[in-house]
Amino acid sequence: MVVLKNIQPPTDGVKHEQAETTALMDGQRLGCGTLYVAETRLSWFDGSGLGFSLEYPSIGLHAISKDTSAFPQEHLYVMVNGKLSDENEAEMLESRDKADEDEEDGDDDEGSTNGGDDEDGPITEIRFVPNDKTSLESMFSAMCECQALHPDPEDDDSDNDFESEEYDVEEAVSDQGGANISSFYTCDEGLSALTSEGQATLERLEGMLAQSISQQYQMAGVRTEETKDQFEDGMEVDACTEAGQFEDADVDH
Amino acid sequence: CFYSALFYSFFKSLVGKDVVVELKNDLSICGTLHSVDQYLNIKLTDISVTDPEKYPHMLSVKNCFIRGSVVRYVQLPADEVDTQLLQDAARKEAMQQKQ
Repeated sequence: MVVLKNIQPPTDGVKHEQAETTALMDGQRLGCGTLYVAETRLSWFDGSGLGFSLEYPSIGLHAISKDTSAFPQEHLYVMVNGKLSDENEAEMLESRDKADEDEEDGDDDEGSTNGGDDEDGPITEIRFVPNDKTSLESMFSAMCECQALHPDPEDDDSDNDFESEEYDVEEAVSDQGGANISSFYTCDEGLSALTSEGQATLERLEGMLAQSISQQYQMAGVRTEETKDQFEDGMEVDACTEAGQFEDADVDH
Repeated sequence: CFYSALFYSFFKSLVGKDVVVELKNDLSICGTLHSVDQYLNIKLTDISVTDPEKYPHMLSVKNCFIRGSVVRYVQLPADEVDTQLLQDAARKEAMQQKQ
């Protein structure tokens, strides 16, 4: 039996709002209400103001399900790390603080385990079934965007001051050097804008990336110019067979 | 993790290839790598679940977004990966980080 708490719907940062959406948790129908895909958290509320919310770091996977043989309606499938069946997310957050004493009591099936256990162990399957099936793509995309806003803390070393872009194979093929590609190459390769030179560099880098990852890193400008000159001299650096050749080149210059 | 940029580039080079993503909760998902972002969040298409008895509900899902932090392993086709290159790149990355 799911306990729904009386929480307020989010008011700002809502990327997508979908009314007339039925929510099911581990197969149990909670009712018909409104799904809010906000930048801070994912939440759902039934008509009477009760609902639950999910933190994005706890959402391991989400997807659009269209195969009616497994579930009779098209819906948004969300897999949450840990168990929510006996308490909603707000209570989960509180109980995490006293997770130790709960585990000592042997009461570890209430979702009150620490983050590591949540990832390794049980999951909660939630389905959001909108009456408007055409909205599924928007719901899915909104969740993808919000997920990207909540990277794990240990990723602080990487470029997370930059909203992540994705390397999409279709976009890459049809729109090389387009805005999407320039965005994520900006953070990785240090290019601030893709000029025509940048596009040429991008194409060269992509070609080299297919052949050699280590070459790409050197061409990104981090390595010394001597190294770059070596490539331009046409020196055949056959990375596939002579790995040691790279290291020798660096040492020599 | 300073190797995340390396693996971001590495996974970008594998977009379009078939992979198996094993999650930390033991779920394994087979699919085509559609895209990856800098946090190593993964989008797969044409997915199938390699352990349907354990997670039958997942069978009906066509496309999915997997949060990077729940991924334990990404199993790759052996002929698509040059492990020597990857070792070199990792070595270079480690040297760069020390500087």
